[in-house]
Amino acid sequence: MTETTLYVIQQLINGLTIGSTYALIAIGYTMVYGIIGMINFAHGEIYMIGTYVTFIVIAGLMGMGMVSLPLILVVALLLAVIIASTYGWTVERVAYRPLRGSNRLIPLISAIGMSIFLQNYVVLSQGSRDVALPPQISGGWTFGDPSLFEVSFSYMQLIIWVATFVAMGGLTLFISRSRMGRACRACSEDLGMTNLLGIDTNKIIALTFVIGAALAAVAGLLLGLYYGVVNPFVGFIAGLKAFTAAVLGGIGSIPGAMLGGLILGVTEAMTSAFFPSEYKDVVSFSLLVLILLFRPSGLLGKPEVEKV
Amino acid sequence: MKNLKKTILGLSVSALMLGATVAEADIKIGLAGPATGPVAQYGDMQKIGVMAAIEQINKAGGVNGEMLEGVIYDDACDPKQAVAVANKIVNDGVQHVVGHLCSSSTEPASDIYEEEGVLMITAASTSPTITEKGYQMIFRTIGLDSLQGPFAAQYVIDKIKPKNMAIIHDKQQYGEGLATSVKNEVEKAGIKPVMFEGVTAGDKDFSALIAKLKKNNVDFVYYGGYHPELGLILRQSKEKGFDAKFMGPEGVGNPDISKIAGEASEGLLVTLPQSFDQDPANQALVKAISDKGEDPTGPFVFPAYSAIQVMTDAMKATGSTDTQELADYIRSNTFKTTTGDLDFDDKGDLTEFSFVVYNWHADGSKTAAK
Repeated sequence: MTETTLYVIQQLINGLTIGSTYALIAIGYTMVYGIIGMINFAHGEIYMIGTYVTFIVIAGLMGMGMVSLPLILVVALLLAVIIASTYGWTVERVAYRPLRGSNRLIPLISAIGMSIFLQNYVVLSQGSRDVALPPQISGGWTFGDPSLFEVSFSYMQLIIWVATFVAMGGLTLFISRSRMGRACRACSEDLGMTNLLGIDTNKIIALTFVIGAALAAVAGLLLGLYYGVVNPFVGFIAGLKAFTAAVLGGIGSIPGAMLGGLILGVTEAMTSAFFPSEYKDVVSFSLLVLILLFRPSGLLGKPEVEKV
Repeated sequence: MKNLKKTILGLSVSALMLGATVAEADIKIGLAGPATGPVAQYGDMQKIGVMAAIEQINKAGGVNGEMLEGVIYDDACDPKQAVAVANKIVNDGVQHVVGHLCSSSTEPASDIYEEEGVLMITAASTSPTITEKGYQMIFRTIGLDSLQGPFAAQYVIDKIKPKNMAIIHDKQQYGEGLATSVKNEVEKAGIKPVMFEGVTAGDKDFSALIAKLKKNNVDFVYYGGYHPELGLILRQSKEKGFDAKFMGPEGVGNPDISKIAGEASEGLLVTLPQSFDQDPANQALVKAISDKGEDPTGPFVFPAYSAIQVMTDAMKATGSTDTQELADYIRSNTFKTTTGDLDFDDKGDLTEFSFVVYNWHADGSKTAAK
């Protein structure tokens, strides 16, 4: 293999890793949009809280003398998911439910308010500096000719890929096979009608917020371990990128969020690879504009049918 | 109920008046910088220096019979907030300001101070453009990027002699300014950087950039910016097996970079203002600050301390707090401060300021590099 091929493989690995995490966060946006047609702007903050919980739990358990890393990670994962889900549920309860049926812009503003609130709440309780965690899972594989270019693929990157695919697969099964999933799909088709048919739509909407938050917590844990730092402001950029991924893939579509995330991640990596990295965001967002010009509902989104 | 309301109103009015009378007897010094946000630790350094100086001066009887009072304003290192803070300072009637900290905040704020006749001394902003506008009220007690850049470049040319040098910056005024200045200097000496690129402040993933550095066989990286990004670049470089020497300005030189990068911060080169806390003449002060449980080693602590000294010495000498008089006095005199004898040129910059190259260690300490 030539140097360029190896280099492209390396950037593909990097891009798929970033893309996987975008996809995990994007699910939360896409599910809420699919069901109530609104964007949950506090979602990035839930992801940030997931990372903080992970850090606090890992540091706490290690401080208590626990040595088994898998056990620590399982406990951290469980707590991160539970706590972030609680926040997700509360966001829905506080910022969305009281405003249901009002003008669509109003819950949007209340969600932005929620996002600012959560960010500042974490600043006040945890401080605004970067909090760092030493690498927990290090090492990986390298291949390629060292004299040309050595491709590295770390265990952590593999874990991120696997976790993303498992979470996505599980969610797709849940939506397409389970009773609750069927209720979710019914809500997304026609909220009012579903309600008339005797399904508690409030419960289903709360459930989508909780699922979205749980996946954001998984992303929070994975990215927290991968990058090893967190500050109260990481939710904003992560949320923005994930939202872009959701729109790119077709907001409202779960496979679309996955595809959108991967495309965005790989585009970013490839742009930094062959152009100055300043152009990374320019290229990704131009791509978004182009796709929306030709497919206004995103790559896998269903075109909206005008209801008369 | 009505009575209660009246009592509360009465109490709060009298409390307000009390506040006003106490404050009027003092000379208020505004302390503008990030108290929150990702670079709040630099704001802390400035605060430690200023508060220590105010305490010492008040202990010695104040200035012209008046006590100093430090008022903290938080700009979070955000240019928009800095403008709001500057307006608030003017509205509050504060005439003397130490700050701001980040160059990108200081610059818009300085326009307001100049217009309103507020004396401003920054102890941390190093961008040359701040003093290039011919302003009367703007001074600084720290060296400029236009000194630090060439100084770093000289070290690279003399000592490192890199084969493939890369220059990375964070696209902000401070970082890109330094990176450009280093680039120009090394190019003059015949070193052509193979990469000159910007990253986005706040980004967490630099794997694509690191792969590119690796592909270009880069053996030396100069980074213009702050520690959160460089910390992650170092950490991810180590994980990805990219082994090059890194160098950065004082914006990366604080113990947090070691918390973020861990072992990967070992051997990082940092240009910092000379360590004034090592100066034997400052030992009593270092002890006084440490005794309060604060850290005297930050690079901006002593420049902030001397900013207050310059202000108050000028007040004592002119017997006035009028900012125009003070500004004229500061331009034409020499000040004995904890950071040495300071002379200001017409632009308001120090005529002399020395930097030192340090080797950074994984535990957050530093030793002078040979």
